[in-house]
Amino acid sequence: MRPYFEKMPAFGKELKENRLARTRDSRAKLEEVEAGIAAARKAREQVGLPADAINKRGSLTVWQRLEALVDPGSWHPLHSLYNPEDNEEGTTNVVDGLAKIAGRWAVVIGFDNKVLAGAWIAGQSENILRVTNLARRLRVPLVWLVNCSGVKLPDQEKFYADRRGGGTPFYRHAELNQEGVPILAGIYGTNPAGGGYQAISPTILLAHKDANLAVGGAGIVSGMSPRGGFDVAGLEELIAKTRDIKERPPGRVETHFGETGFLSRVYDDEKGVLEGIKEYMRAIPAYDPAFFRVAAPAEPRLPASDLYHLLPFNQKEGYVFDDLLARLVDGSEHMEFRPGYGPEIYTGLVKVDGMLLGAIGNRQGLLPKGYPEYADYPGIGGKLYRQGLIKMNEFVTQCGRDRLPVIWFQDTTGIDVGDIAEKAELLGLGQSLIYSIQQTEVPMMLVVLRKGSAAAHYVMGGPTANRHNVFTLGTAATEIYVMHGETAAVATYSRRAIKEKDSARPLEPIAEKMNEMAKKYFDTSRPAYCARYGFVDEIVELKALRGYLKAFAGAAYQNPASICPRHQMLLPRLIRG
Amino acid sequence: MAEEVRAPLAGNIFKVLVEPGAKVQEDDELLVIEALKMENLVYSPCGGTVKEVRVKPGDKVDEDAVLLVIE
Repeated sequence: MRPYFEKMPAFGKELKENRLARTRDSRAKLEEVEAGIAAARKAREQVGLPADAINKRGSLTVWQRLEALVDPGSWHPLHSLYNPEDNEEGTTNVVDGLAKIAGRWAVVIGFDNKVLAGAWIAGQSENILRVTNLARRLRVPLVWLVNCSGVKLPDQEKFYADRRGGGTPFYRHAELNQEGVPILAGIYGTNPAGGGYQAISPTILLAHKDANLAVGGAGIVSGMSPRGGFDVAGLEELIAKTRDIKERPPGRVETHFGETGFLSRVYDDEKGVLEGIKEYMRAIPAYDPAFFRVAAPAEPRLPASDLYHLLPFNQKEGYVFDDLLARLVDGSEHMEFRPGYGPEIYTGLVKVDGMLLGAIGNRQGLLPKGYPEYADYPGIGGKLYRQGLIKMNEFVTQCGRDRLPVIWFQDTTGIDVGDIAEKAELLGLGQSLIYSIQQTEVPMMLVVLRKGSAAAHYVMGGPTANRHNVFTLGTAATEIYVMHGETAAVATYSRRAIKEKDSARPLEPIAEKMNEMAKKYFDTSRPAYCARYGFVDEIVELKALRGYLKAFAGAAYQNPASICPRHQMLLPRLIRG
Repeated sequence: MAEEVRAPLAGNIFKVLVEPGAKVQEDDELLVIEALKMENLVYSPCGGTVKEVRVKPGDKVDEDAVLLVIE
C-alpha cells in the first residue's frame, strides 16, 4: 500500500497577503481568549497550599510528581478548568491528562495534595469517570498518583452517594482490569476510606514508605461509636484516643507490604515510586509506533501559525476548512473521500505522526449552486444536508471496517430544517449517523472549532457518543449551545409578543427579556464556560492542536483491540476508484 | 479581457475589501455579502487589476448582480 500512503495528494492553499492583513484583529482576539484560558489554568495549578509548604513536610506536590513522571514535552492536560459543581476550591481536586511515561502513552491522573490533602470533593467522581473512560476507549494504561484524604466531610451529601457518585470509579477500575487495561498506582500520604479504595482498586500498587491505605483512617477509628451527642468528658476521651492512633494510623506500609502484601513495592524516596511506575510502564504491552505507521512522520507543509488567520473569531464569517486541516496533518496531504458529493462536509484519510486516521469536518461558506439538490433555497456551510449526512454515514462505517480512528471537526449550526428537509429524510439520516458510529469499535476525538450546535453537535461524534468520543477539545472560538441565543429568544417569546401586541400592551419588556435570554446564551457558551462544565474536555491553543492529534493517534495505535491489515483496507481503494 | 465578478447569492454588501486599481490574484478576497445569517466571502476568479467596483457597503444585491470588474 506504499503507493497509496507514502505520498498522498497535497492540499491546502498558502495564506494570501490580503487575508493575513485582514485577519490580524481576529488573530488578536483569538490570542486574547487563549491568554485568558492560560491564566485560569495557571491559577488552577496554584490553588491550595504553596508548593514550599508541601515540600517542607517532605512531600512533593502533584505537579512536581507529574513533572518527574512524564516524558518531557508529552503532557497534554485535560479537564484543567473542569469544576461542574462550582466548588469553592475552584477544582475537582484531581489533575489529569494524556502523557508518555517511559516512551508509552498513558492516561495520568493524580489527587492535588495541596488542596485538603487530596480530598474527594464535588464533581470529582465525574472527572474520574471521564478519565477511566479515556483509558478504556484508547486501551492505554491508567496511571494514578494516589494521595487522597477521603471525603471532604462537610460536603459529603454532594458526591458520596448516587449512581455516578464517589464509589463509581472503583467499579470502573474493575471494568478496566477485566478488559485488560492495566491501572498503575503510586501511593503517597494518608489514604483512608474513599482514599483507601482509590489506592486498592488499581492493578499494581507501589507506595512511598510513609503512605497508608485503609478502610477507615485515624479520624474514623478514634471516633467510631456515636453516643447521641458530645460533651467535655467525651471529648477528653476522644483526644486521648486520637493522639494514640495518629502515631500509628491503620493501613501502614508495615501492614500492607509486610503482612497483606497488597503493595508490590515500597520506596523510601518519593521519586522512587515514580521510577517504579516507569519500570512497570516499560513492561506493559505496546506496539512500537513503527508497526502501524503507513509513512514516515512529517510536519505539515503549511505552518500552524496560519490557523490564527484561517479560523475567524467572528462566528458569522466563513473560511476554507480544507486549508485549516492542511495545517494539522502530516505533509499537508490527504485522500479525500467522495469529493463533490455532500459538499458541506469534508471526509478523508490523513496521516498524523505517520499513522492513518479518518477526518471529518464541516465546510463553511456558500455551497455550489443547486445544492442541496432537494430544495429551492441555497445551501450554506456549517449546516448538514442529505448528501453530507449520507457521506458521513458511509465514511464512518468504512473507518470502522478498516479500524481507522476518527477525528471530527465541528463548526455546525445544525441540520437543515423545514418540510422539504423532512421529506429529504434528514431526521432519519442524522440518527443513522449515530447508529453508524455505534456499530464501529474505533476511538474518536472531536475538535469543536467554533460552533457545536443543535442535533448536529450530537450526531457528529460529540461527547454524547459515550462509547467512542475519547475526548472533545475546544478552541478560543468555541461556542456550544442548543441554538443561537437570539434564535432561542425568538422561539421562546414570539407568541407572547403577538399576545402583547394584540392586547395593546408595550413591547419593551418582551424585548428586554429576549435580550436577557440572548445574553445568557452567550455567557453560558464561551470557551471557559464549556471547559468548566465539561462540554469540552479542554480548551486548546490553536498552535497546540496538532500535539493533541498526535497524542490521540499515538495512544489509539499503541495497543488496539483489533487490526485491519493495511493491504486489506477498503477506504483507500474506494477513494482511488 | 475584463471579467465580471457576480454575486453568488442575494444579500447585503457587508464589506468591500478592494478598491479600483488594486492588483489581485486568483482566490484573493474581494468583498463580503451578508446573507443566510452569514458573512460570505467572494473570491477573485482570476488575477488582474480591479477596474471597477459597482457596490458599496449596505447595498442590497440580487443573485448574479455584477459586483466588480477585473481586467
